[in-house]
Amino acid sequence: MKIIAIIIGKIVLLLGKFLHRGSSLPGKIALKIDKNILKKFKYPQTRIIVTGSSGKGSTSTLIAKVLRDKGYQVCHNTNGSNLSYGITTALIKYSSLTGKIKADYLVLEVDERYNKQVIKYINPNYLVLTNLTKDQPPRQHTIDNVFQDVISCIPASTKIITSMDEPLLRYLEYKLPNEVIYFSLAQNKYSYPTQIFENLNATYCPKCDSKLVYDYYNFEDLGAYHCSKCDFGYLKPQTLGQNLDLDAETLNIDDDTIAIGGDTLYHAYNTITAVALLKELNIPQIKESINKIYQNHPSSYFKNKSQSFRYFNCKSENATTFNQALFKIKEDTDLKDIIIGWSIISKRYPHTDISWLYDIEFELLNNKQVNKIYVCGMNKEDLKTRLLLGGIPEAKIVVVNDIPDTKDSILSGEASKVYCLSHYDYGAIFKKTFKED
Amino acid sequence: MTIKIAHLYPNELNLYGENGNIKALTYALKEQDIAYIITNIDFTDPINFNDYDFIYIGSGRKIFLDKARQALEPYKENILNYLKQDKVFLITGNAVSIFEFLNFYEVTSLDNFVVGNVCGTTSLCKGQIKAFQNTEYLIKSTDNLIFSLDTGYGNNNTMLEGYQKNNFYATTLIGPLLARNPNLTKYFIDILKENQK
Repeated sequence: MKIIAIIIGKIVLLLGKFLHRGSSLPGKIALKIDKNILKKFKYPQTRIIVTGSSGKGSTSTLIAKVLRDKGYQVCHNTNGSNLSYGITTALIKYSSLTGKIKADYLVLEVDERYNKQVIKYINPNYLVLTNLTKDQPPRQHTIDNVFQDVISCIPASTKIITSMDEPLLRYLEYKLPNEVIYFSLAQNKYSYPTQIFENLNATYCPKCDSKLVYDYYNFEDLGAYHCSKCDFGYLKPQTLGQNLDLDAETLNIDDDTIAIGGDTLYHAYNTITAVALLKELNIPQIKESINKIYQNHPSSYFKNKSQSFRYFNCKSENATTFNQALFKIKEDTDLKDIIIGWSIISKRYPHTDISWLYDIEFELLNNKQVNKIYVCGMNKEDLKTRLLLGGIPEAKIVVVNDIPDTKDSILSGEASKVYCLSHYDYGAIFKKTFKED
Repeated sequence: MTIKIAHLYPNELNLYGENGNIKALTYALKEQDIAYIITNIDFTDPINFNDYDFIYIGSGRKIFLDKARQALEPYKENILNYLKQDKVFLITGNAVSIFEFLNFYEVTSLDNFVVGNVCGTTSLCKGQIKAFQNTEYLIKSTDNLIFSLDTGYGNNNTMLEGYQKNNFYATTLIGPLLARNPNLTKYFIDILKENQK
């Protein structure tokens, strides 16, 4: 059955390539033919799983690109294909007809709740855990469920690479017998001394349940902390990103200046995470490869006459990704218009939970540099309410049906910058609306 | 007239945008030019219930529900006295599980969370109630109900949800409930105004 499943999967893969359609259909069909196929592949000697609430796609892609730059064959599932069908599709692509994965490295991005179903077959040498934040409340319910799911299935021989900046992940060293390697973003010019976000996970010590005291925050509950009672706290990690400069899009690791491929904190964290893993693999000259990969990366902005436009691809039902965008926008002192909206919340389920909108710190938009905020899409009225309750003056809020409805007003307006915060679904519409003139 | 609001444990019981309820309440108070003071209560803070007109507590992780129960149980008599004065106590989401010690109702602890959109009505205010449920606890009581649900999960496998006694309101509905239902917010503000007379 395994060979038939692989052959059919490869044929469907080829047809998809011929029709210019990338999808996880080959994996779906192969799993229909042989539901135990994941158990039957012969995996490479070095197997890496990258999981977490966000950043796993970008981080695993950077890891795979660096390894390929060094001349290695890498089996990697493409961004977002992190459930059974997508993972199986990637494996079929790199598999021989007998099921041997023809690669030096297996780098799999895996959904954090699905990981427990995959990890037993992969038995990874390394598990990279990017972060754990509030995410998809109707599916995840609480962070405790996710944390338990993630830690309950890690083989004892697997080395864990994770964040020192996140107290819950720092706790892994206490909770598990595994070797844990930490990374961190050091205090930098964007760090702040007093919490500016509400509704976070970590205010208490995971070890003794006493209050945590922060020396500084990098973002939300990421920072340097110590317990007010016990010995739990931040320690210098094995990989430390220093001297972050978001204008130059660089930071320093081990005295090397490394490009981070963008101008936000999550670009920095993704890069540090990848470097932490690559160091463990003893990959030489990591800096050279990353700087090459990120050189000439496309600008985050595009221009139209006198205005600059930027799209933030936030993750639906994940307040942290929206907060990252707002944290970036708040640094911009230019007058700006902002578009917020989406046409769908989730493809997984029919629920229309909006509680997570109240975990987003929209209050950061309550300043003079924000000209107008356009809300659109399926939750436009909910967004208007959220902004009003966040203290945004009603005169600044414009309710429209769709992004093209904002065009005339924005193009004839005073703002020199235009930001759009949405999910994957509105990116193309935003660019089409404002790039064509 | 100044309305004194206590938000119990906002840094810990904050699972599903709970502070949206306080934002909705204070926004509506501001609209009516009614002054208010919000006090965020921490686990280590002593609580003088007489100091407040409206107390709110929302959903949280199990570890914090347990801590809240331990912190509040010693105040049982103070809470009952507070309610005797017709002051308002609003409890949303899985925080309903904290207050079994008041002996008003019991809760059912579920093996799996119940999740879904909620649509219904209530005698407290006009119009449809729009909300959401994401809870591992449901109230057992079939008396003193608040909501009649078209969709959602009610008490004891019924389509009736919540528990009300005087101005004690416990419901597993989230939303945030007040942010999504301005008529319900108005209902509470009318009580607060009446209590100030």
